[in-house]
Amino acid sequence: MAQARKIKLNYRCPQCFMRDIDMDMFYDPDKKEYYCLRCSFHGDEKRVLEKNEEVRLKYLDMSRRFKMEDFEKFDD
Amino acid sequence: MAKLILNLIHRPEMVPEYSQKVTGHGKQEDLGDQKLLNESLDIFITQQRIAHECGLKTTIQMTYSSLFNDEAVEIAKHDHEKYGDEIALTLLGLPCEEFRKKYKTKEFCIWMFSKEDKHNIVDDVFEKFYEKFGFYPESTGSYYMDAELINYIKEKYPSVKCAVATCFEEGPKAYHTCNNSWYTLMDGGPWAPWIPSKQNTHAPAANKQEDSGIVAIPHLSRDLLACYDGNGSNFGTHPQNVLRGMIYDTKTWEFPYFYNLVDQYRYQEKFNNGYCYNMVFVGPGWMNKMGRWEQPYELLEKAYKDGCNYYGELKKQGQLVDMTMAEFADHYRSIKTYEEPECALWRDILYGSNKQLFWYLDPYMRACINMDQGGALVDLRPYVSKLDYEMGVGSKHIQDVSYPYLIQEKYRAGYFTHYAGEGTIRSGKICHNGEEVDLCLCRTHAHFNNDNGNRTLTLDPVEIEFSDLTIKLVSIISFKQGSSEIEVTRKIVETSDENAQITIKEYMVATYGTTEYPEDMGSIVLHNDEQTMNYEYKCREIIKEGSKQISSDVTPIDTKVVMTCENDDCVGIVREGYAFSPMFTLEYDVTVNMKEDVKTWLKLEKLN
Repeated sequence: MAQARKIKLNYRCPQCFMRDIDMDMFYDPDKKEYYCLRCSFHGDEKRVLEKNEEVRLKYLDMSRRFKMEDFEKFDD
Repeated sequence: MAKLILNLIHRPEMVPEYSQKVTGHGKQEDLGDQKLLNESLDIFITQQRIAHECGLKTTIQMTYSSLFNDEAVEIAKHDHEKYGDEIALTLLGLPCEEFRKKYKTKEFCIWMFSKEDKHNIVDDVFEKFYEKFGFYPESTGSYYMDAELINYIKEKYPSVKCAVATCFEEGPKAYHTCNNSWYTLMDGGPWAPWIPSKQNTHAPAANKQEDSGIVAIPHLSRDLLACYDGNGSNFGTHPQNVLRGMIYDTKTWEFPYFYNLVDQYRYQEKFNNGYCYNMVFVGPGWMNKMGRWEQPYELLEKAYKDGCNYYGELKKQGQLVDMTMAEFADHYRSIKTYEEPECALWRDILYGSNKQLFWYLDPYMRACINMDQGGALVDLRPYVSKLDYEMGVGSKHIQDVSYPYLIQEKYRAGYFTHYAGEGTIRSGKICHNGEEVDLCLCRTHAHFNNDNGNRTLTLDPVEIEFSDLTIKLVSIISFKQGSSEIEVTRKIVETSDENAQITIKEYMVATYGTTEYPEDMGSIVLHNDEQTMNYEYKCREIIKEGSKQISSDVTPIDTKVVMTCENDDCVGIVREGYAFSPMFTLEYDVTVNMKEDVKTWLKLEKLN
């Protein structure tokens, strides 16, 4: 089995990212998957990208553009 | 609306952070790799081009390695002539073949070398700069610069008037984010420019005698809520920070959060006498041609263009002024006094919550008030002590130069603890007929007022329900300029029973430290007027009716914490903790009717 390596896009582990850890993943060319050295996450690019979208779910205002008058205006 | 002041800084780093790891993965280390050098210079040229296309001038911080590169030197001279960019000198970017050969170390952090090495390297770098440009720089900087290093540079190279000197809340959280491999911790510093004291870089100077002679700026302008709650490196005015946090739309590559962040900084002029500021400093490694993590190069470049373009548009609209670091230092000194605090009333702009924080900073303290916890004080750093914390090899603080906290609700728990014990926080408990409600559970918002030097927060009333009584209570939190004091007033503004009585317990649970882990509390001494208790983890307390003053000597950080109460019929309590709860508590209990206010003060003093 050949060694793992980094390929063009160097994905981070989405599972570690969710707990605020930037952990580079490595690519296993035999299994054609990325895997994390720190936790047990592994998966192909599609799975990584899906998990990355889940990461963004916590950013409820990611697409909102605030106006100046919004900075002290609250919806309660 | 006041103009936002922008410092936009670039550095030609010939072996950029991260690039060697990315470009060179799978190869043996080669700092002289021509491909790496060419790519590094290309990134710098691209950054400069983007800034100038947006009509912005920059501060070019030459690195040691770039001083050996004639092309980099020529570009700096050219851009200085053509665009008015300042040619400055950073102490970042030391790694290169010449440095490695001369100093025989892989260390690259100037702030963690021994004092002797720091001086030698500074002299080497500054003289090399002089050799190339024929003058000494007016601006310098690093990721962190301790007071000793700033004092040395100022004495030897008096032209220096501005420096990048810390990075806001880059302590244990940055360490964890980097898989516990980021061995440099510097929590507890200012988030906005300040004049560092000669004794401690993080603590602002209180007067001319303490003035280090430079104006310091933080490495980036950070989101004051997201960076406090989580990883600092995802939420700053560094477009690549925002990409690092994955805070962009993967289909459109748009990132409105970045603009919201800039705009909320613009909004801070309301709390700072018409002054607001942003710092942008993107190292070339973050625009690597190989891409960075999930982001291809095209996205990295677009984000940088979009960020600069937003600042450029603001400038065109007359809402921004771009300054070099040296220009900013002069401007800052012309508008600020030593004791004028920096204030920030900051809301969540990312997670969709209604959380709001207030940050306060002056030569005596840095404090954070959390409106989502009823106006509790959740982070407190006693700058009044001006701790002499030299950093680096040979000092007591080789890696950790964070300014110690007395309260830090994330590292040492706040209101909520598991199973037993207490967490650090300054709040109030409202008690009636055996029931007790902590104001930490009363979510509210604040309104800011600056009146005769008092920066005051008036919180929206919170409702407190007991089984036979409902009241509405307002908290007023006031910082009197130059006093080293926080005044807290509780007022009942509505009640279901005019004849009822309540007891208000104004308390502070505190400890000391710089990380998440406990320190030895053995040298702490608690006082309740003339009575004294040495901390022995025995869970004891001293209770005194009519107590005039309760206090704690936090000897390891040279700080005395004092509480006083306006109400004569108060009961003062000091409490030591125990091994499972290594804290101390200062508390005043006051029983009042519905028309009486309760007013207390928390004061910080230098112990010796």
